[in-house]
Amino acid sequence: MDMSVQSSIELQSLTVDFDERFQLVDIDWQLEAGQHWMITGTNGSGKSALAAVLAGAGDVIAGRIDGLPSRVALVSYEAQSELIEAERRKDDADIMDVISEGTPVTEILHDGCQDTELAAQLVEQFGLTGLLDRAFRKLSTGETRKVLLVRALTSKPDLLVLDEPFDGLDASTHQMLARHLASLVGRTPMVLVLNRFDECPDFITDIAYVDQGRLLHKVPRNDEQAYADLYQLLHLKTSELELPRVDPVSSLPPLDPAQPLVRLDKVSIRYGDVTIFQDLSWTIEPNQHWQLTGPNGSGKTGLLSLITGDHPQCYINDIFVFGFQRGNGESIWQIKQYIGYVSTALQWEYRVGTSLRNVIISGFYDSIGLYSKYTDRQREIADEWLAVLGMSERANEPFNKLSYGDQRLLLIARSMVKHPPLLILDEPCLGLDDMNRQLVLALIEKICAGSETSVIYVNHHPEDKVAGIENYLALDSV
Amino acid sequence: MANYFNTLSLREQLAQLGKCRFMHLDEFTDGVNALKGKKMVVIGCGAQGLNQGLNLRDSGLDVSYTLRAEAIAEKRQSWKNATENGFTVGTYEELIPTADVVLNLTPDKQHTAVVNAIMPLMKQGACLSYSHGFNIVEEGMKVRDDLTVIMVAPKCPGSEVRAEYVRGFGVPTLIAVHEDNDPKGEGLELAKAYAVGTGGHKAGVLMSSFIAEVKSDLMGEQTILCGMLQTGSLLCFDKMIEEGVEPGYASKLIQYGWETVTEALKYGGVTNMMDRLSNPAKIKAFDLAEEMKDIMRPLYNKHQDDIMTGHFSATMMADWAKDDADLLGWRAETAETAFEKTPAGDVDISEQEYFDNGILMVAMVKAGVELAFETMTSAGIIADSAYYESLHETPLIANTIARKKLFEMNSTISDTAEYGCYLYNHACLPLLGDFMKGIKSDVIGKGLNLSDTGVDNARLIEVNDAIRTHPVEAIGATLRGHMADMKRIV
Repeated sequence: MDMSVQSSIELQSLTVDFDERFQLVDIDWQLEAGQHWMITGTNGSGKSALAAVLAGAGDVIAGRIDGLPSRVALVSYEAQSELIEAERRKDDADIMDVISEGTPVTEILHDGCQDTELAAQLVEQFGLTGLLDRAFRKLSTGETRKVLLVRALTSKPDLLVLDEPFDGLDASTHQMLARHLASLVGRTPMVLVLNRFDECPDFITDIAYVDQGRLLHKVPRNDEQAYADLYQLLHLKTSELELPRVDPVSSLPPLDPAQPLVRLDKVSIRYGDVTIFQDLSWTIEPNQHWQLTGPNGSGKTGLLSLITGDHPQCYINDIFVFGFQRGNGESIWQIKQYIGYVSTALQWEYRVGTSLRNVIISGFYDSIGLYSKYTDRQREIADEWLAVLGMSERANEPFNKLSYGDQRLLLIARSMVKHPPLLILDEPCLGLDDMNRQLVLALIEKICAGSETSVIYVNHHPEDKVAGIENYLALDSV
Repeated sequence: MANYFNTLSLREQLAQLGKCRFMHLDEFTDGVNALKGKKMVVIGCGAQGLNQGLNLRDSGLDVSYTLRAEAIAEKRQSWKNATENGFTVGTYEELIPTADVVLNLTPDKQHTAVVNAIMPLMKQGACLSYSHGFNIVEEGMKVRDDLTVIMVAPKCPGSEVRAEYVRGFGVPTLIAVHEDNDPKGEGLELAKAYAVGTGGHKAGVLMSSFIAEVKSDLMGEQTILCGMLQTGSLLCFDKMIEEGVEPGYASKLIQYGWETVTEALKYGGVTNMMDRLSNPAKIKAFDLAEEMKDIMRPLYNKHQDDIMTGHFSATMMADWAKDDADLLGWRAETAETAFEKTPAGDVDISEQEYFDNGILMVAMVKAGVELAFETMTSAGIIADSAYYESLHETPLIANTIARKKLFEMNSTISDTAEYGCYLYNHACLPLLGDFMKGIKSDVIGKGLNLSDTGVDNARLIEVNDAIRTHPVEAIGATLRGHMADMKRIV
């Protein structure tokens, strides 16, 4: 047992293929006993791929990997979305003509659990107690993440690989997890993929910097100069951001400036006997920017989907949006035309193989995929957005082959393309690295500074402040 | 009640069967206006009922659900589906009298009881909508003269009807008006508005007739869709076992093979499916398919004839009267087959390997699709309709086999499809007996494994030409073209 912890892992001239999607090239890396690594890099650099290699992912094309322990636990967005996709496939609703519930959380947790006592403790600390009987795929993004973390932590792995473990966690859960990880030092070697340098826990001894599929730098934590340089590299400030123009032809029907954009009057969401929130009133005036906060599962996404019309209970609540009192014969497309929207759930829904350019153009039509004949002007505007994102060369690449972070950037551009009166950004920085987060935050600030768009910004990280946001709504836990 | 089709003159029968037209997007510029402000009441809240209702409401229409009093009192799943989604739910007595349009989305077998229960409650001049015409055409349901009767049938499962709408698209949809029940001449406008409300107009709408829908739908589902895949599964599995193929491998090759090969069919028709094979394998599959078509042609003709004369539905309804004795017996038999009892092995099979080692399966799909299409069109059904009811739906059933194998596939398709599937299966298994004696593992299970993949040019040209000029390919290219034109992305 101790032997496996003590032995080192060695990657020698390793080249690994990930479908046609990605290649890690010529990796030389030695993970010694007693070391705990952080892997970092820009979006699409291959840092998640490198972490996944430790869990046996990819096809080794050349070189070798030695000393990998047999039990490796990996938690990542890719693994999370694969599991959700698997749950989705298991859903027999379409062929059974019944609405199926899916695998309950308890079963997911039980799979591979080596320490039921620890499991019980973590379930409580992560606040999952009330969710044990809930279907896994019905959980919120943050909740599914927590379930997978608990599962990994209780599997007694010989190597623990966590890809962005803190992302999407609220502040208290974040601290609790950091404390728990710290307690594993000396027992379990850890490799953490982190986009944020400021989240790097104290026990991390070494940092690996990945760029374009290559392991470029290996920096010991105690080398202060090298550490600072790496920090700088990731923080590289983007400058001279110019927001692409609006398309005068596909402009929206005008709104009455005297009316609020959104007025929710004592709204609630209930599932059976469970109330997610109730009697919530909220008015959003034109040009008001809001930040919405609340712990995982407090109903932030549900609240937003009442506004966007994606929640079926929008029809039994008192909701006024963009001049429409909901439930009076308006269609959701009349509502959606005024809204730009980005969320993790949208990204999971947006599983299409269309080109990057088409993804941006689809923002003009509020569709997932593109089903309309677009204009030359719309195409030009899409290309301007690609230039802002630094993706001009990749306009015709398929969207579903992009890295998670690059997909998010594209969807943010898609949501902004029509300069909507209301822009809803539901944790837009989730999964983004420092550099791209700077880019996105700068974009949001530009939009906020303009006169045409109100922003609702949902975020867990207090440090991701956006200049121009002055209104705050905090939801309580259920 | 008498079979409605059989009451018509031959001239009227042919006119109804031949009714099918692909509608253009600009025929839907009136949107949902014909249904605006009208009260739509859905009967049944399963996957079709719930998801169509969600779409219609999101298109700005007034939708509520009516369920039997017991379902409401016991808070059954259908009640939960409707209330959790914020719909008004009431009994027949409460809601039917208020309805301008009643959407009957219950299973076929319940139609007579449901329609008899609601008809006396329906408003003068209201509209009754079906998603399948069996009740009208085969059972001869006579609907009150003042009521308009239409059909709107999305050609996909309920969950897909919703998912595509949310994406901003829709699924191909068939609409029809029952001409005996169109007193105000508004049936077509209502059906079109309904199709727009579910998003169907974006993916393509076929205007058909109740008769063409029923006679083609029954034919497709019992022959190529369910029957051929069931028979093929059993024959291919038993042959592989006989040839010493590892049972887990054989089971997996079949369970997922249909889905894989018909995925190629979905994208590019029989031509593309055949093109996925190597040249020698393609020629082999072509020859096998030709041989099977000759053997099975009388069986396809018999199925189509029995459907046309009403013999099929009469037989099935007699079984309904016996509490499904035949159906349930056959369902139990299916559960006992060797294929069903052998779980898919934990082996990797690459996408291409399903083609290379499943040449006979490809041949069976080709033979079944082409025969079903040929039989339908020669019976007077228009090519568009025949295409949707054969080639277009084959991947959907293949997908249920991949997820559920045969027993569950049969339990999840409609009872009508299942009944026809067993009839086909029982006739087709012995029919292909001699043919199967000549089959070896090179065409099912192990692949040709040729060191030389050369073929004769003239022969290859001849085979390619025969595949590509089959009439199902011409109409398929046109209809998929309509889809691709609107749906730029797959």
